[in-house]
Amino acid sequence: MGVRTSAAVAVGRAVRVAARLRGGGSAIPGTVALRIAPRFLEDTIAAIPRGVVAVSGSNGKSTTTNMLAAILREHGLKVFTNPSGGNLPQGIASSVLSQVALNGRLDADIAILEVDEGYGPKLTKLLKPRTVLLLNIQIDQLNRYHEPDRVVRMLEQVAMTATTSLILNRDDNHLVDMDKRIPGSREVAFFGASAELITGAAHGVASADRFGDAHAAAGTREAAVTVTALGDSSATLSIDGQQIDVRLPARGLHYALDAAGAAATARSVLGADFRPEKVTSALGGLTTVYGRGELLEVDGESIEIIMMKNPASLQLNLDSLETQPEQVFMAIDEGTPDPSWIYDIDLSSLSHVDVITGSKAWQFAVRLGYAGIPVGTVDLDVRAAVKQFLALPRPASGRKTMILNYEQMMGIRKILGFKELEGGGQA
Amino acid sequence: MSDASDTSRPATERLNILHLFPRTLGMNGENGNVDILVHRAEARGLSVNVKRYEDGDSLPAAVDLVFIGSGPVSAQLETQPWLSVLAPPLRALAAHDVPFLAVGAGFQLLGESVTLADGTVLAGAGVFPVTTTVAGERVVGDFVVSSPVLGTLVGFENRGSYVDILDAAPIGHVVYGRGNVAATGPGASAGAAAIAASGATAEGTVRVAPDDRVEGYWVGNLVGTHLHGPVLANNPALADWLLTAALARRGETLPPAPASLAEIDRRASKARDTIAAAPLSE
Repeated sequence: MGVRTSAAVAVGRAVRVAARLRGGGSAIPGTVALRIAPRFLEDTIAAIPRGVVAVSGSNGKSTTTNMLAAILREHGLKVFTNPSGGNLPQGIASSVLSQVALNGRLDADIAILEVDEGYGPKLTKLLKPRTVLLLNIQIDQLNRYHEPDRVVRMLEQVAMTATTSLILNRDDNHLVDMDKRIPGSREVAFFGASAELITGAAHGVASADRFGDAHAAAGTREAAVTVTALGDSSATLSIDGQQIDVRLPARGLHYALDAAGAAATARSVLGADFRPEKVTSALGGLTTVYGRGELLEVDGESIEIIMMKNPASLQLNLDSLETQPEQVFMAIDEGTPDPSWIYDIDLSSLSHVDVITGSKAWQFAVRLGYAGIPVGTVDLDVRAAVKQFLALPRPASGRKTMILNYEQMMGIRKILGFKELEGGGQA
Repeated sequence: MSDASDTSRPATERLNILHLFPRTLGMNGENGNVDILVHRAEARGLSVNVKRYEDGDSLPAAVDLVFIGSGPVSAQLETQPWLSVLAPPLRALAAHDVPFLAVGAGFQLLGESVTLADGTVLAGAGVFPVTTTVAGERVVGDFVVSSPVLGTLVGFENRGSYVDILDAAPIGHVVYGRGNVAATGPGASAGAAAIAASGATAEGTVRVAPDDRVEGYWVGNLVGTHLHGPVLANNPALADWLLTAALARRGETLPPAPASLAEIDRRASKARDTIAAAPLSE
């Protein structure tokens, strides 16, 4: 371990303490560490004995990383992971700083890292993961990625860095045959859901369309782990013929597929040591990741947070609602620079929206107008809008619903008095 | 939003919208434009029929308005082979003053040609006398255009190509964003160095000053643009202009907007004001 790494640890930690005192963590300590020791990530993470598992895809990265870490811990492994959202190099470096010894050693058997699609190719080249888990390719952040085809190419590059094995979603139009499209050979395992569950979901798995070349149809590969039944916040997974029940963060096929992806990856990483029943116990004890099916308790009322990171996450979360929510708040700001995609969303699970805020509020109000969904108030002042929503009479169901983009989810959590922040650094 | 096909009345009594490639060129809410046209016509008591043309379908005999949306280059490649069949009837519709709204990749395909980044030239349908060259730095951000006919139009610009409209009239001047060709000014992120670095050819690159930036093509009843949002969501005046033009060909006029549309238009006006007051780009 070099002098630079030790210096980076020392200075980065000091910055981290300062940042915490100011309130909340951030990506700043990681940025500082990377500036002092550009090879900081390789030097600290490469020494972990069982190597790196990289998790990427359009949606579900944080949830799945959280699940996979829990399953491996349940099997007795010491896991290093980046907290949700901290999936850029500086965010990961910040996570390393929080756990590394001054000599640069991380006390972990294995690293499970959530990797941003855009930074994925660069980051995985650096970290040389043994295993890569790819969840899905959906329409996401076109302002950043321009078109889904570019995300496909980025994730192909991420897949190519896997030295040992590749875990893919067989129900995704682009991932179903990605192993055959990339050079090199490695073990490949698939996860998926039964055909009945896919066709039974209102909008399937919301996989991005694939044009051009003739290719294998989604769903046609043999899966090591399959979702065979879906309950209310629970699912049944079939693993090598054994049926196990798992608890999910909330209702929804997408969460069940995240669990299947995590189980398939654990099975691949652990080999003969893998015990399917430990998936059940691991997922049973998990807390949800911010904004992903999370319930916040505020003044005796529960507030359900639905995050709309992109069209697929919003649609799948709306599809998972059991009944039309009684009180609805929406907040969208410039974190969603181009909300055109709201015209692709089936909003019929909403009977009305009480309050809309954020700089894109009027665009959403127009969309809801065309969808024939009544809108209460539009107020661009977020604090005032939150106050107004909280003041609404207590809902009969005891639950208020907030539909938020990522940036507003972070801001409104704070307004509601939940201070701790995610790992920081999500673009 | 309705799929609107009132077959109880003959085609002559309905407003017939031809929607080209809704699946392939329907990325990022583009199909919302058709939903909005249908909604605004039906809210005024008009009967609407939408023919969705995908691959190899037959074209309907009666067409009052044509829409084509946007998609990635892979979708352009998939769609382009159908143009040899589609081009003659589409040009005939244009010659008969049927209004067209063509957005992004669809606008490019209805032009004369599209030159891709690797030099491949795709023949277009030749409805719009414009050529597209994929080149230069991609411009991504809010887009504000001032139209002499409709006032301020807003949307989102996300393109990595230049459109040459020759001496034809554009939709309007660019207030924020880039517009048809390489340019300087607020929001026009493609700098000279970036254009040079991208290897853009001299023919494909006409560099204009901030005051000369223009967007799209608007001659007669043909409207082509790279305004997204989708464009008709933020700019209901353009939707009503298209409906008015479609009805005028049949000797009809657009009935006044009911209160429900007036409320949507009030919100759209607020959306335009919000974007135009503080436009952002990446």
